[in-house]
Amino acid sequence: MRLAFILSEIGSGLRRNLSMVVSVILVTFVSLTFVGAAGMLQMQINQMKGYWYDKVQVAIFLCNDTSTAAGCASGPVTDEQQANLQKLLESPSVKQYISDFQFESRSEAYAHFKEQFSNSPIVDSVTPDQLPASFRLSMKDPEKYQIISETFSSQPGVESVTDQRKLLERLFSWMNTASLAAVGIAAVMIICAVLLIATTIRLSAFSRRRETGIMRLVGASKTVIQLPFIMEGVIAAVVGAMLASLTLWLVAHFWLGETLSKQIPDTPFISATQALIIAPVLIALGGGLAGLSSLLTLRRYLKV
Amino acid sequence: MIRFENVTKVYDQKARPALDSVSLEVERGEFTFLVGASGSGKSTFLRLVLKEDHATSGSVYVAGQNVANIPSWRVPRLRRGIGVVFQDFRLLPQKNVFANVAFAMQVIGKSRGIIRETVPEVLKTVGLEGKEKRMPHELSGGEQQRVAIARAVVNRPGILLADEPTGNLDPITSMGIMGVLDKINQNGTTVVMATHDDDIVNEMRKRVVELKNGRVIRDEAKALYTSMIPVVGESRRLKDASGQEISRAQGEQQ
Repeated sequence: MRLAFILSEIGSGLRRNLSMVVSVILVTFVSLTFVGAAGMLQMQINQMKGYWYDKVQVAIFLCNDTSTAAGCASGPVTDEQQANLQKLLESPSVKQYISDFQFESRSEAYAHFKEQFSNSPIVDSVTPDQLPASFRLSMKDPEKYQIISETFSSQPGVESVTDQRKLLERLFSWMNTASLAAVGIAAVMIICAVLLIATTIRLSAFSRRRETGIMRLVGASKTVIQLPFIMEGVIAAVVGAMLASLTLWLVAHFWLGETLSKQIPDTPFISATQALIIAPVLIALGGGLAGLSSLLTLRRYLKV
Repeated sequence: MIRFENVTKVYDQKARPALDSVSLEVERGEFTFLVGASGSGKSTFLRLVLKEDHATSGSVYVAGQNVANIPSWRVPRLRRGIGVVFQDFRLLPQKNVFANVAFAMQVIGKSRGIIRETVPEVLKTVGLEGKEKRMPHELSGGEQQRVAIARAVVNRPGILLADEPTGNLDPITSMGIMGVLDKINQNGTTVVMATHDDDIVNEMRKRVVELKNGRVIRDEAKALYTSMIPVVGESRRLKDASGQEISRAQGEQQ
């Protein structure tokens, strides 16, 4: 009976305060979408780190016709130099650091280049002999890059040794900045949401002061009096959080899953299922914040 | 049922206290009028019984319990034992008569079956049978007050506090309301009624407690609104009463 009563009170509160409730829903929706987006960016970064760090880490570029590096003074790499390098890679002193390596010839490099820049006119002006052949190394421990670099930079026929993680790290730091920005916007929006919920609850308590006054007099408990108001805020916030979760899922499913993953096929994107992991976090966050701000507001404006 | 021991209530340090060391006992099943001019402390008395406010000094006992010792989470339980009626009825305008009375039972978690059984009974007691479906604005003032009384007593409180329940009603309607309150009192409920209405007090001939400037200046059984002593003696008696007051105040100062 009491539960049914509380539920009907919540319903009437939501109906009476509809416009405020809608604005609470929208503000929590927007703020939690930003929170969720930041979360998804972090997940994406982790996913890409795991994927790329396993794959390509260090590239040893070999001299070609156009190389200008000091080690390439004697011209393009000879077969003998290349064989020596391969031997060095297989020697125990180097092998302990790398898990795997493979040779990428110029024509393979050209093919990859064409694929990567298929939408760009630069493809037309590049020929296979402009691109260097390379050894691609997977490190057992990516931090040991320095040893590889020292060993191979001075070898004849090597143009340069690059740690490709550096390139990725730049990308990741950009994505980190983006997710920080999202968190910043989210923080401001969450403050808005909390204040708006507080105002809504205050209005609601004011418009129902007659009922609550009578409830107090006939000895209704604090829970029965306050719960409908608190639930009003919590329900609105949870609806907002559910909308945010749905939006993020749609982004992950359609934009990442169907559009971006076709445009950039060799990048691992987070799946829609992974995006759903964020949903309970958002719902708990929304509900918790709303409950807390309602409770604090009621303590000031609804005497029991 | 209600006992005040030297209760003083000060709202504002600079002004005189709203209640000034009031000692009073209302027995179980008694009907007591609380009379006095506006600002004499009647409403403060009722608020202290309900623990809407706490006494500045002294103790308030309700049903044998010192209300100062009731923790805030137990206050609802205290209030369930006390029904309250106001001058302005305080009905919920969007609920009909039945729902208004049922509301008092719903909020304390009574089952639907008990509500359906009890509410018509109580409406019958206050003389509103057959008007369950009416909305408050479709009722006369007297009928609205009967609804408010029904709501106050539907949970069978031991005490009924009425703060000028006839203040907005004409004399004949007021007498009807008094009949209802008397009936409730005869069923064993202690009734304390604050009022200005001399006709009613004179008609009912119940205990009268008169407050003036926060002090009890008269406490008589089966009394009238003003003192029962004839006019000639009245001035003497009032003087006696005030003289007594002065001596008591002096006694406290020592």
